[in-house]
Amino acid sequence: MHEVQKNDRSLWEVVGDYFRANSIWMKWYCTGCGAIEMPPTMTSRFDMEQLGMGPMATPRQADVLLITGYLSTKTLRRVIYSYEQMQDPKYVVGFGSCTLNGGIYYDSYATINQLDKYLPVDLYIAGCMPRPEAIMNSFGELIEMIKKGEAKGWKHYKENHEWYKANQMDSLGEVIIHDEFHE
Amino acid sequence: MTNSMSNWIETLEKDLGVEVLDSPAKLQYFIDVEHTNVHQTLAYLRHVGFTQMSLLSCIDWIEQGKFQLICILMNWENGVHMLVRTMLDRENPEFTTITDIYPGAVYYEREIHEFFGVHFRGNPTYQKPLFLERWDDMPPLRKDFDPQAYSDSKFPRREHPHVFKTKVVEVTE
Repeated sequence: MHEVQKNDRSLWEVVGDYFRANSIWMKWYCTGCGAIEMPPTMTSRFDMEQLGMGPMATPRQADVLLITGYLSTKTLRRVIYSYEQMQDPKYVVGFGSCTLNGGIYYDSYATINQLDKYLPVDLYIAGCMPRPEAIMNSFGELIEMIKKGEAKGWKHYKENHEWYKANQMDSLGEVIIHDEFHE
Repeated sequence: MTNSMSNWIETLEKDLGVEVLDSPAKLQYFIDVEHTNVHQTLAYLRHVGFTQMSLLSCIDWIEQGKFQLICILMNWENGVHMLVRTMLDRENPEFTTITDIYPGAVYYEREIHEFFGVHFRGNPTYQKPLFLERWDDMPPLRKDFDPQAYSDSKFPRREHPHVFKTKVVEVTE
């Protein structure tokens, strides 16, 4: 048993975080090439379910949003939509060097360079791409962070909403999605 | 190359009035035509069995001041691929649509207009954006477009040096 840290949480949040950490639903949204590392992580070879994690199809029922690799501006609009649909508490994990500093797409006209300007990232995994071992390791880390109350990016997003929105507007122009399939 | 195939190519050369060039790949040939002759060439090739248009693409030859349009056709009867290539003026890139010969080209023409800025007369939808949303610069696959400058102006980079938090994981036997 780890030591319960209260920091800025109420007692109910401490209890809630303890139980949340053992039952995490992962939003099944594949943004880049790192999505191919998820099937071995989910299935019998590495078995994500041993940590109590499972995939979930819709953002409204999910707890953790994985940004698996490079994010084009077009995808970022959809990711922001999905993130804002998710219910509190919600966590974001950034995969690979593309979400950290652009990776090999550092000079691309279509992909962003730094994810935490637009969404609050709780945990980054380094690598290009991170192998399933690294992903499993980071999920263990995420569970510990949730138990200790360190994964509070969603609170940061609420408190600094204007800053995030300003960054999103600077890079994207607007977040509203216009395409011919929604017209 | 079989004998019947060489006869077939000779017929093609005679009818089209152009040289059919061989490529290192098997069963793949290409022809260079003037941009005014592309449509009659494509119509003829479709008539003789090239029913599938696999790709319509573009290359920017900035030193020659030209855009090159490439159309890849396939004949399912004998498995031959044919590349039809033509040069356009880079300053005022205009071309007449090929959607009345190959209707599937409508999305390729939108893509080429988006990435190279070639205008397709006769295609009513070619100016609609296909991949890029809210694009506000010159077409990005032109050779004189600077993606680094665009990326720097739009997408902030992480400032170096990084400060990494390291954690040693000890493995116990």
